[in-house]
Amino acid sequence: MLRLWFDKGTLLLKGEVGTPYGKWDPRVGCYRIKAYNYRDVLEYFAESLLKVEDDALSLPPIEQIKSNVALRDYQNEALDNWYRARNRGILVLPTAAGKTFIALKAIEKLKVQTLIVVPTLDLIDQWRKRVKDCLNLETGVVCGGENTLRMVTVTTYDSAYIHAGQFGNKFMLLVFDEVHHLASTGYIQIAEMFTAPYRMGLTATYERSDQRHSLLSQLVGDPVYSVDIKELSGEHLSPYTYEKILVELTPQEQQIYESQMRIFRSFLQQRKITLRSPADFQKFIMTTGRDPKAREALLARNRAVKVAVNSETKLNLLAEKLEEYKNQKILIFTLFNDLVYTISLRFLIPAITYQTPREERREILSNFGKGKYPVVVTSQVLDEGLDVPDASVGLVLGGTGSNREYVQRLGRLLRKKEGKTAQLIEIISKETMEVATSRRRHQKTGEAT
Amino acid sequence: MFPSNLLSVWKRKGEILPRYAKPSSSNDEAANTLIDVYKARIGEKKKVLKTVVTELEDKGHEYRFVRALSLLLDRKSTFVCHSKIDPIDLRRKIFQVTENLGIPTTSEKRQKILTTVASEITLTKEDVEESFYSDLESELVLEKFTEPSASELLEEYNLGLTQTLLFDATELNFTTSGNWQEIFRAIKKFGLIYEVCNDHGLWVKIDGPGSLFKLTRRYGVGMAKLLPIIIANPDWKINAKVLWKFTNEIYDFKIESQKYASLLKRPRLPSVIYDSSVELDFASQFQALTTGWILKREPEPVTAGKNVIIPDFSLEKAGIKIYLEIVGFWTEEYLLRKIEKLKQVEVKMLLLVNESLACEKLSALEKRPHIDIIYYHKKIPLGPILRYLEAKFEEVKFKEIALLESLPIKFTEPIVSFREFADRIGVSTEAARAFLASNLPSGYIAIADTLISNKKLLQIDAKIRENISRSGKLPLKEAAKIIAEEGVDDSANVLAALSYKIRWRGIDSDQAIVEPSR
Repeated sequence: MLRLWFDKGTLLLKGEVGTPYGKWDPRVGCYRIKAYNYRDVLEYFAESLLKVEDDALSLPPIEQIKSNVALRDYQNEALDNWYRARNRGILVLPTAAGKTFIALKAIEKLKVQTLIVVPTLDLIDQWRKRVKDCLNLETGVVCGGENTLRMVTVTTYDSAYIHAGQFGNKFMLLVFDEVHHLASTGYIQIAEMFTAPYRMGLTATYERSDQRHSLLSQLVGDPVYSVDIKELSGEHLSPYTYEKILVELTPQEQQIYESQMRIFRSFLQQRKITLRSPADFQKFIMTTGRDPKAREALLARNRAVKVAVNSETKLNLLAEKLEEYKNQKILIFTLFNDLVYTISLRFLIPAITYQTPREERREILSNFGKGKYPVVVTSQVLDEGLDVPDASVGLVLGGTGSNREYVQRLGRLLRKKEGKTAQLIEIISKETMEVATSRRRHQKTGEAT
Repeated sequence: MFPSNLLSVWKRKGEILPRYAKPSSSNDEAANTLIDVYKARIGEKKKVLKTVVTELEDKGHEYRFVRALSLLLDRKSTFVCHSKIDPIDLRRKIFQVTENLGIPTTSEKRQKILTTVASEITLTKEDVEESFYSDLESELVLEKFTEPSASELLEEYNLGLTQTLLFDATELNFTTSGNWQEIFRAIKKFGLIYEVCNDHGLWVKIDGPGSLFKLTRRYGVGMAKLLPIIIANPDWKINAKVLWKFTNEIYDFKIESQKYASLLKRPRLPSVIYDSSVELDFASQFQALTTGWILKREPEPVTAGKNVIIPDFSLEKAGIKIYLEIVGFWTEEYLLRKIEKLKQVEVKMLLLVNESLACEKLSALEKRPHIDIIYYHKKIPLGPILRYLEAKFEEVKFKEIALLESLPIKFTEPIVSFREFADRIGVSTEAARAFLASNLPSGYIAIADTLISNKKLLQIDAKIRENISRSGKLPLKEAAKIIAEEGVDDSANVLAALSYKIRWRGIDSDQAIVEPSR
């Protein structure tokens, strides 16, 4: 008799028969199989007419769902495609296109134990609320101190990575929110260590600059539905405009910027280093650990960037823009935390960074939603997935030049609201590398400016 | 443990080693400087502290070293929010005022809002500015700092560095001198898998379930957490494979206690723990007896196939080692697993089994040659155990006597203790005693576990006689000294053998006098 059970993120098979998926583990005297092959192994045994005593799963009880989720046409189409791919696959939809509802519908239809994996603590709260509002279910949470398992459970990528060995056999469906995170070296193992046969990935930005998204096909499924931001804009999402404003550094700032950049560039020239890709840059950072000259060059570059990003003229222009859009909801994005607090203190507006206490963050977002706080300034924490209700103006001060960041910041503004045109304004220091960053970004999205 | 960007290593010929901070005047100075920086900044903001620390970077010491030390000192510091008002409440108030008056895009407007709020909560405008973000990490104030010594700090640094390197380990091999129970408990807790082999001591190889499929650093964190438990022992060797992520190459990482123990912070070894009162009672009762058997709690693990068993006790005497396992109230599943393991054990093992357990399951073990079982009820009976041990010892003693009888034994020294003789041949003192009792070599006499040649005895006799005739009487003390000078400890028995009489005056041995008999 064959027996199959779960062991710390893998499956163990005892018996006289191997499978195409298993590998003999001499340490325990059994075949060991990656957990994500669970469905494959069962199918293999069924086809081979082999009986197996399957003790792999240990599922929390099914609870009764009362759903009020109604999908739009494109959402229905996306879900159908996912069903057709045998309940696996990745859905690529722009922010605010209602990815969450598709996943909730899938849970309602399949009625199975589901683990939702999200990147941030805020998203845990958000999913929890959605599951409660739409499916009338209390969710379990595995994160930080909390550790409750229920039919629908929410966790972060970090917690899932840590606990996969314990919880890997307790779910039938995995929903990966912002699934592009899953492709990173560590997180990818989450997908390997769960037995769940059904898997859904959600993202607005499937492709990664390091190409690792190709790894997701095997573990989550192929992209089964993809809709462009332009196809949806106007119909389901609000239209938007984009504007770029160049400002000059003050003479003093310009001087610091140039002198610091000169140190950086001459070092690169001396060592004949070219920095074309993020990987090149990563290599350069590596050398700064043991090479004091390289480190000095890096520090000089950082000082230059900081001057450009924090430029006084930008803050003055920001003041003008705040006057100009007085009666609208504005989100200000910056690259550095320091600048968030500078702006917050100078204009006395609420700030959200990774340091903001959770309760206060909730309060700020809720007040922003109600229109009590018309402006919020933030660093990168709002980049992904978090519901920020219908901001109509986005002001970007300094960016990292990544494609994903751009799309999602844009997406944040595009909440469907009757007759609304969202505006994205990027304020860039002239003649600094920030222009190059901004240009690179637009080449990637193919957006005309 | 540090963020990986603070890890600093040497790599050469496929080997990798953290750049340990050895005790040197320069490293001590760096540590002391940083400690002083913290001490001097009590009452100041974290950002001030960190600015000073940043200034120290690259000034004669590598920035990663400085930052890691600073990180360790942060963990010995308490930072608190100093504010006259709860900053969250304050911000809420300000945002409310801003809501009514509009976003201040000019400096005048901003001042107006701050003044309004300040008067509302009866604080100054400066207080308001100061308190606005007083709860930010960088604005917190250093309240308390527990000062380490420079050497403690460096040892912590070196341990942290080693653990940080192990984050990237794909495999960890080690051998060590104790603390096994805790080590194996931790291996299980951290979701690791072990294999053991004997190679000049018990070596344990650690990786994880997923290691079967590919080299993975996934279990590195567990290995890093295991490290302090291993090196809590005085003797250890560590041999790990580290996957250096920047180059994707595997390196060997090897350290051992002889060279490295003094560099690393060594956690305190837990004191001996007893799992139950049954064990504790047994141990204390056994140790109260003088049996010659050495009882050890939690001895080294015993291999059982690919697994190990850590017996509750080991008992040692005369080269006999018997492991003792108390089978108390175990769940059936645990019992069955244990029995499977015990079947594979190849050393002598005595099981003390609680009668109320399902004993028929244990009968499978009764036929195993290495395993003996004694059943008990409530308390562990010493009698049967002592009889068992005695029997085991008798077996050995009998064999040893037979060995001695087969050997050509010749004595040349004037004095030989039984123990010396036993050690020389490699048998127990008991066997030597029994053998010599019936095979006393000619020309020797046995006095209190010592062989003394007749010649030597006559020399002693002559000296004593001379002393008595010279001074008329010889105090016992003097006689003992003379005998000791000749190399014999037991003066009383020697004097008796030479037929001297000891005259006591009271019980004070200083007053006793040696006289010739008759």
